[in-house]
Amino acid sequence: MFEEVSRIVLATATAWILFLVIDVFFRLPQKGGVSGAEAIGSAIEGRGGNLYGGRMIGNIVSSPDASAGILLAACGVFVAGIPGGLAAAALVYIGNRICHDRGYAGTSGAVVATFVIAGFMQAGFLASDFIVGSVLAVLTIQGISHIHASRLIGRLWRWRA
Amino acid sequence: MESLIAAVICLTIALSGAIRAIIERDTLLRLPYVNVMNFGIAGFIVLLLPHPLTLGVAAAYFIGSTLEANAIASAYARREQQ
Repeated sequence: MFEEVSRIVLATATAWILFLVIDVFFRLPQKGGVSGAEAIGSAIEGRGGNLYGGRMIGNIVSSPDASAGILLAACGVFVAGIPGGLAAAALVYIGNRICHDRGYAGTSGAVVATFVIAGFMQAGFLASDFIVGSVLAVLTIQGISHIHASRLIGRLWRWRA
Repeated sequence: MESLIAAVICLTIALSGAIRAIIERDTLLRLPYVNVMNFGIAGFIVLLLPHPLTLGVAAAYFIGSTLEANAIASAYARREQQ
């Protein structure tokens, strides 16, 4: 049990870094993709958070982004190995189109995550560790404190911009 | 079931997201918590039933719920503007 918990902690750290790096690389904090994402950003700013971080949280809500890509890729690898991960990337691509998302953060995240997870599995990790890892990673950004998470993303965005 | 701990964590996070969404007063700020719940449930579906078809079910659930959140947020934002 202790071994599984430590694997989950490492998988969470990997998924967290991968998800934030890809989302910030694809300029998700720059502007709200849809009017709802922009409004969520403003609402978080109104509570004392960072506008750029708020926009990224809004974009994550409004369209499958890299975190969704990592989650579905982990699910795909869990049920069917690398082909399953790539099938998940295709499903995320369809999801992006349905949501009118012009970016490719979700699809790229799913493809990158498929190979990262396959690599970690060579080192004894399980794909299920990454399913939990991506859920925990999104919990830290979306589900604990919007104000602190948005400030953290704002700081990352300043480095990128 | 080797991934029991994983399934329990996913379900716990989904429940915590649902509870936070109920407690939050601002409709727009409820949506990120609902998103956490969706992540937890999509992960839980796959962990509960590991089969290639389940991937389609989880993706359909996840993309459908994201589209719903997208529609709610956009409609709410447009109504506020008017």
